[in-house]
Amino acid sequence: MTHIFAIGGGKGGTGKSFIAANLGVMLAKQGKKVVLVDLDLGAPNLHTMMGLNNLKTGLNNFLNNSVKDLSLTAVPTKIPNLYIISSIRCSLEVGNLFYAQKQKIIRAISQLPTDYVVLDLGAGTTYNTLDFFLASHQGLSVFTPEPTSIQNTVRFIKAVYLRKLKHILKHHAFPTAVKEVGYESDDGVVRSPLDIVDSVMRSDPARAKLLQKELRKLRFKLILNQYRKHIDETLGNKIEKVCNRHFYSQFQFLGNIAYNERVYDSIIARKIFVAKYPYTSTSTDLKNLANKMTGNNVQAPTLKETNAKI
Amino acid sequence: MQKFEELNHYEIFEIPINASAFEIRQAYKEALSIYGDDSPISYSFFTEEESKEILGRVEEAFSTLIDQEKRELYNKMLVREKKIDPSSLTKRRQQVPTPLFSSKTHGGAAISKTIIKKRIKDENLKEAEEVILSKDMISGDDLKQLRKTFGVKIEDLFEVTRISVSILEAIENDDFGTLPPTIYLKNFLKAYAELFEVDPKKIIDGYIKNLNYIKGIS
Ligand SMILES: Nc1ncnc2c1ncn2[C@@H]1O[C@H](COP(=O)(O)OP(=O)(O)O)[C@@H](O)[C@H]1O
Ligand SMILES: [Mg+2]
Repeated sequence: MTHIFAIGGGKGGTGKSFIAANLGVMLAKQGKKVVLVDLDLGAPNLHTMMGLNNLKTGLNNFLNNSVKDLSLTAVPTKIPNLYIISSIRCSLEVGNLFYAQKQKIIRAISQLPTDYVVLDLGAGTTYNTLDFFLASHQGLSVFTPEPTSIQNTVRFIKAVYLRKLKHILKHHAFPTAVKEVGYESDDGVVRSPLDIVDSVMRSDPARAKLLQKELRKLRFKLILNQYRKHIDETLGNKIEKVCNRHFYSQFQFLGNIAYNERVYDSIIARKIFVAKYPYTSTSTDLKNLANKMTGNNVQAPTLKETNAKI
Repeated sequence: MQKFEELNHYEIFEIPINASAFEIRQAYKEALSIYGDDSPISYSFFTEEESKEILGRVEEAFSTLIDQEKRELYNKMLVREKKIDPSSLTKRRQQVPTPLFSSKTHGGAAISKTIIKKRIKDENLKEAEEVILSKDMISGDDLKQLRKTFGVKIEDLFEVTRISVSILEAIENDDFGTLPPTIYLKNFLKAYAELFEVDPKKIIDGYIKNLNYIKGIS
């Protein structure tokens, strides 16, 4: 079975697409077959990060049923073993996917005949984005050191957590009284998920354990991108700590990715950054990231090979 | 997860019961960088009310622990309520001071065997043990997950077992190039298993089986 990584995290411009593309390259360099999927349906640009244009096929062919098998919409990139499914040719309205289409995409992605899939998600906390994130085996939340970015990533984490919480309440038939607290309060304000879990626990202590157990299955990975030297190097660890202390899910900070001016240049020149500048600290950070992510994977036995070789 | 409101002063700072005044100050400074008024982390996570309450607890913890008299009273209360093991108050400390309440590698605060043992009593965690024992082959990652379920850091594990962090990491990464000879490895796995109160034989057999499997396919 394929292993799905989702790259998300609230704010636009933090480097989700940059990381998705370059992480894909690093995974492919481990000798694995990798498919990148651009699921930022409102603003697709993953192909640009890969230095590609004029893509003939993509997600649009799958959504309009002209191609039944999603894997046939994948286009090879300049890197061996690495493919991309772009959504650049999808209609401008595709940003608002119907539920059934979303389910269809998720199902097809999980059946792609490849070692890894990397999903590049859009900014914001729309249900589509949250559900793609939740459908992955490992969800990465990318943020930068600015307070606004931290704020948005926390908002994103809370939104994923809340969505998961609602799924759990629904699937485990929590009594309606308990369920209600999971939804909006009277004045329509979305309540803090921390608050919701507490009140569910209070009103249904007998099943609080079940809720905790289910929430614990949700695992977040955190990445700090555009890291610069003067910044507190433990910022990511601190955020990890706070998350683990105050949410019932599991959080792991995977490290900093250095800021490098040439990222911009490489995008302008339509070159893949890690291929053009392999000896920068940014590329080393991305390589370490790829190693950590595959080392984390216990299911696929092929991955153990990778571990053993490192 | 232990709820923040239920953490004792030492747990808030993640410092040992016999921490020095220097360590307490360091930990307090660290805590302020997370929970302080102008920390972007705090205002991203919490409502004004929540962060006020949390900060209040941090301040209270600091003012109690830094005052010798108050601290002794507080310790007595913890002993009385059976929250800590009285022997941990007098236990000798390591010679080299380790940075505390820092999440940098090797910087994590040591937690005592008693705290780990206490957590293991929790029913919820029994399940994690059953999961790992039900496996035929046990990978380093399985051990890591078990450790994480107990909220134990690798540095904590080192504190309690005295197995070096690099060996512990090699065990958890199935990094057979770095692992010690089997006879030592077995001893380390045994220490690991005993700490988490899972059957050492099952852990050793499952781990070695998995290791041989990995060696076979690489
Ligand atoms: N590590 C980095 N160093 C320097 N610039 C970066 C880095 N990561 C991203 N960027 C810059 O940020 C911009 C936005 O990145 P992008 O991946 O498109 O963000 P997102 O997909 O999150 O909206 C890029 O155009 C690039 O110039
Ligand atoms: Mg993007």
